Amino acid sequence: MIRATQLKKSFAKPGSSKKNDKVLAVQEVSFTAEDGQVTGLLGPNGAGKSTTLRMLATLIKPDEGNAQIDGFDVQHNIQEVRKQLGFMPHNAGIYPRLSARENIHYYARLCGLKRSDARQRANELLQQLDMESFADRRSAGFSQGQRTKVALARALVHSPQTLMLDEPTNGLDVMATRGLRNIIRDLAKQGHCVLFSSHIMQEVSALCDHIAIISDGKIAMTDSLEGIKTKTGENDLEDAFVRAIGETP
Amino acid sequence: MRFLVVMFKEIIDNLRDKQTVFYALLFGPVLMPLILGGSIIISLKQLSIDFDQVTPLAVVNAELAPNLMTFLHSNNIDVVEAPDEPEKAVRRGDSPVVLKVMPSFSDALRAGKPAPLTLFVSDADKKSTREARKVVALLNAYERTINALRMQHRGIDPNVFNSLDISREDVSRDGAGGQLLASLLPFLLIISMVMGGFYLAIDTTAGERERQSLEPLLSLPLNRRELVLGKFGATLCFVALSGILTSISVFFLFQFFPTDLIGGGLHFDAPTIFKSFLVASPLIAFIAAVLITVSAFTRSSKEAQTYLGVLMVIPMAPFFILQFVTIRSELAIMPIPMMSQYQLLERTVLGDPIPALYIILSAGGTFIATAFMLLVAIRLYSRDRILM
Repeated sequence: MIRATQLKKSFAKPGSSKKNDKVLAVQEVSFTAEDGQVTGLLGPNGAGKSTTLRMLATLIKPDEGNAQIDGFDVQHNIQEVRKQLGFMPHNAGIYPRLSARENIHYYARLCGLKRSDARQRANELLQQLDMESFADRRSAGFSQGQRTKVALARALVHSPQTLMLDEPTNGLDVMATRGLRNIIRDLAKQGHCVLFSSHIMQEVSALCDHIAIISDGKIAMTDSLEGIKTKTGENDLEDAFVRAIGETP
Repeated sequence: MRFLVVMFKEIIDNLRDKQTVFYALLFGPVLMPLILGGSIIISLKQLSIDFDQVTPLAVVNAELAPNLMTFLHSNNIDVVEAPDEPEKAVRRGDSPVVLKVMPSFSDALRAGKPAPLTLFVSDADKKSTREARKVVALLNAYERTINALRMQHRGIDPNVFNSLDISREDVSRDGAGGQLLASLLPFLLIISMVMGGFYLAIDTTAGERERQSLEPLLSLPLNRRELVLGKFGATLCFVALSGILTSISVFFLFQFFPTDLIGGGLHFDAPTIFKSFLVASPLIAFIAAVLITVSAFTRSSKEAQTYLGVLMVIPMAPFFILQFVTIRSELAIMPIPMMSQYQLLERTVLGDPIPALYIILSAGGTFIATAFMLLVAIRLYSRDRILM
């Protein structure tokens, strides 16, 4: 379970020499993502989705506000948060000279699994995500779909309760997207908390039980799909989204 | 102990990278010694004259100076038929030098006047100038003999004209070439150690940022200190491997050096090379730490290569500084990494005794600098900015 409260983060302006010249990336971000549900963080490009996820993943420290992952504070219980959390950034970031199996095995070992356990865990994930056909090939020539699967397997390697995926369907074809959706639904059914960010309406409406709309670094609205449609008085998520971020459709 | 997991992964990963392997296993250990050592061997051979070696000399009008020919022959010169156009032959390089006995030679000699000889030389050609030096040296010796005979003939002691007796003794044990050779070992060893870890360090730090594989890595339940230590360890292994291979190849290279050219004072036998490697070994950790830390500062491989490229001057600096400056206070530079190892390696090769204090200061200073660099790297990895 993820609970974010009034997160705020600003960065030094690139190329600016002044110390106080800052860009406000995220302000007033509060939302909750429950276990057993898929929560969508929906927002246009540059809305602050990745910054929010990075703060939740303990990669950067929020300037203000706080957040808990399964009850652990992201600023004070960093290692505990990391144990609960599987994070897949928007670029797969896998090692091109290692095979799919080696990529997963490496992460398993880094998470503290013994050699034999790591091997077994890698086998499980390769099977679960249907990757056996390319398990022992070097990743350099992988398709986007294959790369995403490897990255997802790595994020799941320590069996985290909470999973965060940053724009996971980017660059995937229809079949790969559908495959990934099924995997995400299964994970939620097993009781995991899944938070995933996207700027694609269809994606969110097809998959999410709960939606947080983010715009200009602020959460504009957070509710179930039906709730958002009711609140905005729009029948279509796209129109609802446009209304939620303060524009007229 | 998770840093070992990181370390082994980086080693395996980089062993699959042709560029890294080329620089670690081939460039430093094989190509550099061959290119540098080879060119030094060749230039030394060109500089030195071997009076014991029989060399041919083309002479025009040899029949006009039979005594001179006999003298040359007894001094390991094989007088041969001269080409038709001596000047062109020398210019083209067909004959290195040609000696022409002028037609008036025997008359002048008999009359007690300077007897004319012409030596055709091409100063643009090193082989020609070297041959010319040899021939001139022999002709001078012949002239001294004739001078002495002429004076004795007139009842004068030839020593009357030898008012000075200059004897020149080179007291450095190794001569001019030896100093250069003595600094060749530290130069090769240190450069190849740097090159050995260069690409691995860039790949594991800046490369990881560039591939965007750092972000998921940092979100794992793993201490960043272990991450840095793992990457440092992998770089260290490559630097060490490169150093060991270079020591071996330098050992074999010096088996080809003619000992009379090196000078008797230089040692390149197996125990000396082994000792040199031990003296230089604290540098392995230092070099690995510098490479990791500097490339951790940078955002991309290209940026890292630029920074480290500039930094490459530093390991070379002591080599050039010590070529020009004779440092009197050795004790003061002992705690400085690189500088001290250069000095100690030179001493080792020259067979000078090394005080224990020097070794302690050198190793101690280098280890402190290494620890400092590693702390900086760990700090760099703990900042938000590492992901930006």
